[in-house]
Amino acid sequence: MVKTNLLSTVLTITIAVALVIPAAVAAEVVQGKCVAIDEKKKTYTIEIYDTTKDKEHPYGRSTNKTIVINYSKALVGKDPEVGDILRAAYKAEGPENVAIRVMNVTKQDIMRK
Amino acid sequence: MEASAWYMMYMPISGIEIFWPGLVLIGFAVGVIGGFFGMGGAWLVTPGLNILGFPMAFAIGTDIAHIAGKSMIATIRHAKFGNVDVPLGLAMLIFTMLGIEIGARIVIYLEAIGLVGPVVRWVYVGFLACIFLMVLTDILKKRRREREKIGEEDKLKGGIDWASTLHKIRIPPMMHFEMAGIYCSLWLPGLVGFVTGILAGFLGIGGGMLRMPALIYLVGCPTHVAVGTDLFEVMVSGLYGAFTYTLKGRIELIAVVVMLCGAAVGAQIGTVATKYSRGMGIRFWFMVCIVVCMISIIFKQYGLTLIAGILILAVVALVCAIIMGIMFKGAAVELREKKAAGK
Amino acid sequence: MKAFLYRLLTSITMVYLLIPAPVSAGGKKAKPLVHVADTRVLSGTYLYFANMYNENLLLFGIWTVVVLTALGSGIGFLMDIIMSKIGLDLRSRELRE
Repeated sequence: MVKTNLLSTVLTITIAVALVIPAAVAAEVVQGKCVAIDEKKKTYTIEIYDTTKDKEHPYGRSTNKTIVINYSKALVGKDPEVGDILRAAYKAEGPENVAIRVMNVTKQDIMRK
Repeated sequence: MEASAWYMMYMPISGIEIFWPGLVLIGFAVGVIGGFFGMGGAWLVTPGLNILGFPMAFAIGTDIAHIAGKSMIATIRHAKFGNVDVPLGLAMLIFTMLGIEIGARIVIYLEAIGLVGPVVRWVYVGFLACIFLMVLTDILKKRRREREKIGEEDKLKGGIDWASTLHKIRIPPMMHFEMAGIYCSLWLPGLVGFVTGILAGFLGIGGGMLRMPALIYLVGCPTHVAVGTDLFEVMVSGLYGAFTYTLKGRIELIAVVVMLCGAAVGAQIGTVATKYSRGMGIRFWFMVCIVVCMISIIFKQYGLTLIAGILILAVVALVCAIIMGIMFKGAAVELREKKAAGK
Repeated sequence: MKAFLYRLLTSITMVYLLIPAPVSAGGKKAKPLVHVADTRVLSGTYLYFANMYNENLLLFGIWTVVVLTALGSGIGFLMDIIMSKIGLDLRSRELRE
C-alpha cells in the first residue's frame, strides 16, 4: 500500500512537471566553419554546413551560406578561432541571432582523445 | 537517430554512436553482480562506458545517474528505510553532497585542461587494485578462520577498535546519534561522508563499498543501521550527483534509461542466485572481473580500444552466464520441489 | 532538532571556509568545455530532451531527477509484481547496494 502511494506520488509529480514546462520556441542549431570573428560586436560568422557526413567531410558539407551569431550572452567553449568548426544553439531576437551555447567542435574533438 | 548500423545507437547530447548491446550488457551485468555479491558494481560502468566510446566526463555523469536510479529500485523493493538514523544520515548527506560537488568540479577542471581521461583511468586502476586486495584479504581471512575453526563472533577480537578510539576525539560539535547508539564529534561521520563523496563524484560510483565499512568500523554503527543509512545516502546523494552532472551538461539520459532497464532485470537474477550459492567459490570470478576491468582500462589508455572493449564485455558476459547458471539450476530445483510439495 | 540543524549549518560553513582555494578557484583558470546537442538530426523524444539541454540546463537537471525517480520506483514496483508472479520468494533475502 505504501509502495502504491509512493508510486502514484512520483507519477503525479512527473506529470505535473511535464505540464508546467512551457511549450517555448526551441532554439535553432547551426554547425559550420567559423569564417570571421568580430570581437567588438561579439559576433561569429559561420559558414553553414549540412548534416551529410562522410570520411572526407566529417562535419558535413558547406552550403555556401553564412550566418552571423552574437555570442555576448552565450556560454562559449574552448576559445573559437577562424577556421574552427563551431556548433551553436541560438534564438532569433529581432534581427539578431543570439547564441545560447557555442561548442568548439574542432578543439573538443582533439581533446576527447 | 542517424545510427549507421542496427547495433549502433546515437547519443543525442554527446553526439557519439554507441554499441548499444554493450550498453545493455554493462547495465545487466552491474545488476547481476551487484545483486549477487551484495556490493555496487558501479566501478564497472564508468570504465565500460569510456571504453565503449563515451567521453570520460559523460561516462562518470551517466554512471552516477544510473546508480541513483538503481538504488531507487532497491529502496522501493526492500523499503529498508526503517533502519536509517535520520540525524546521522542528514549530517553525512550534506558532507557527502559537498564531496560529490568537489569531485565533479575536479572532473570538469581536468576535462578543461584535457587530462580527465588519463587521470580518471589511472585513479580507477588504483581504486580497482584496492577493491581486489579487499576481496582477497576477505577470502584469505575466511579461509584461515575455517581452517582454525574460529567462530564468527571472534572475528572482531584483536587489533585496534578504531571506532572507540575515534570517539575519543572531541572536536565540537559533539553529537548523540540515538538509533546508532553513538556519541561522537559531528566531524567523524562528516569526514566519512565527505571523503566518500569526493570519490563518488570523481569516479561516478555510489561509494557504498567504502561508506559501509567506514560506518561500521570507524563510526561504530551497528551493521543494520549502517546498511539502511548507506542505502539512504547512495540514493539521495546519487540523485544530487545526477543533478549536478546534468547542470554541468555531462549526462546522457538515454544511456541511463537503457542501462537501468538492463540493471533491473539483472539485479533480480543476481539476488535470486544468492539463494542457491554461498558465493565463496564465485568470488574468484568477481576478482577476475576486477583484474580484467583493470587490464581493459590500461589497454584503453594506450589506445587499444577494440581489445579493451572485447575483453571487458567478454568477461562480464562470462560472469553473468555463470551466475545465471546458478540461478536457473537452483530455481528449477526449487520450483520442482514446490510442485512436489503441492501434490 | 533546531540545535542540531544550527550545529550542522555552522560546521558546513566552516568546511566551505576550509576548502583550499585552489579547489574552488581551479575551475576558473581553464574554460570548461561546452557541448551543444545537434538537434538538426533529431526528432521525437530525443529532440525534446536535446532542446531542453541546449536551452535550459536547470530544467533538464530537474527532469533528469524526476525521470530517474519515476523510472527507478516504477521498475522496482514492476519487478516486485513479476517476481511474485513467478513465485520465487525474495523477501527473505538481504540486498545491499
